[in-house]
Amino acid sequence: MGTTLDFVALADIVRGITLEVVGNDAALGSGVSWPPGHVVTNAHVVRRARVAVRSVDGRQLSARLLVRDAEADLALLRLEGADLPAATLGDVSRIRIGSLVVAVGHPLGVRGALSAGIVHAIAPIARGGAPWIHADVRLAPGNSGGPLADVSGAIVGVNAMVAGGLALAVPIARVIDFARAAGVAVP
Amino acid sequence: MDGLLAFSNELAAAVERAGRATVGVNGRRRFGSTGIHWRSGLIVTADHTVEVDEDVTVTTPDGRTLAATVAGRDPAIDLAILRVDAGDLPVADIATEPARVGHIVLAVGRGPRASWGVVSAIGDGQRRRTERADLLNLDLTLYPGFSGGPLVDAGGRVVGVTTSGPARHFQVAIPAATVTRVLDELGRRGRIPRAYLGVGTQSVRLSEALRQRLGSDQRAAVIVVDVQPDSPASAAGLVIGDVIVSLGGAGIADPSDLRAALRPEQVGETVTVSIVRGGEPRDVRLTVGERSRRS
Repeated sequence: MGTTLDFVALADIVRGITLEVVGNDAALGSGVSWPPGHVVTNAHVVRRARVAVRSVDGRQLSARLLVRDAEADLALLRLEGADLPAATLGDVSRIRIGSLVVAVGHPLGVRGALSAGIVHAIAPIARGGAPWIHADVRLAPGNSGGPLADVSGAIVGVNAMVAGGLALAVPIARVIDFARAAGVAVP
Repeated sequence: MDGLLAFSNELAAAVERAGRATVGVNGRRRFGSTGIHWRSGLIVTADHTVEVDEDVTVTTPDGRTLAATVAGRDPAIDLAILRVDAGDLPVADIATEPARVGHIVLAVGRGPRASWGVVSAIGDGQRRRTERADLLNLDLTLYPGFSGGPLVDAGGRVVGVTTSGPARHFQVAIPAATVTRVLDELGRRGRIPRAYLGVGTQSVRLSEALRQRLGSDQRAAVIVVDVQPDSPASAAGLVIGDVIVSLGGAGIADPSDLRAALRPEQVGETVTVSIVRGGEPRDVRLTVGERSRRS
């Protein structure tokens, strides 16, 4: 087959930094372990001050809501107690239309599920708005707040919604700005 | 994961390469569709997305708007050809080998935008030897506005023209070889002729006994319910009640098969029509006519 396409190693990397954001009983969505000691997710996933997060290997931790921006659909949580390995960030300017991307999340309660696809467009949703990553990747409720990663496993976006079958992710540059504005040290 | 990175870069390069010859087609009231600069000055797109004959425009990748005229239509396979003053617009790189089931392919829409998947089947598995038998069935998403755009292989070469059909629930592509034949016909005659037989038909079931006599497993055919005077069908001696089983070797199970089996390049050619008359199979030679351009 010539070159090996190793999605397994890629899945391991991305699953290692993907968290499940848990409500009373059921999962609310996904999150990304970043920056160190914190979790970034969607605002629509977290609506209260304290939530539980679970790593893909089953460790359960408690997290506290630091800041939430409904318009940007981003929220930042601080992990209490233990630390988890943090994600490596990618560079959106290096992904092109057609680049392979993967998402990990908990679609419809399936833990740590991998979806693969390509970048469809990098464009605003509404005319004149900020750009979003549109990806031809099949996502479902439960993927919200989880990572969209490039083929090196670096995070290029935070999945936020599905529109017309396309995954829409907040580009990582906006996530970095959001964390900085919240006064959190960004590596 | 170097293999993945190389493959990812290859896909992105394929989109970029195909995108240089991919245009927006503005030929309907709602959102526009996509077209491919196939030959110098000729844009290929999906017929169902060009709802008007006048005031069609094309948007180039660098944002220029070009006036376009409809050079020809082949509605049986959902293809339209537009003529533009293309200037230095690059021409698409057309694959010389046909796509095969399992090939990884990308659909490119105006923008460019892209989706990926595989060729899942070729033809619908039943209708052999009509043009529809060559249609590429795709396991990928054709997003709104993608119809008429290129289906490309991982090297960025065009293997087909995507269309979701007027009802927008198909994911198919017309193979490049079929498009090239239509363009050759346009070049030869200056137009895409529409083949004409002059019969009205309805689908009928073929009995088990008849199937055995025909030596075929075809379950349906069409019965002639109308023969227009002075038409190719009447000249060939077809009469009401004849059952058409195949045309030019293509099985005919319903009236749409008959339209699909009549290709523009067959106009003026003589084809063999296999019929059943009075319970007896027989072959009729028929010279395909051209539908007048007004009708």
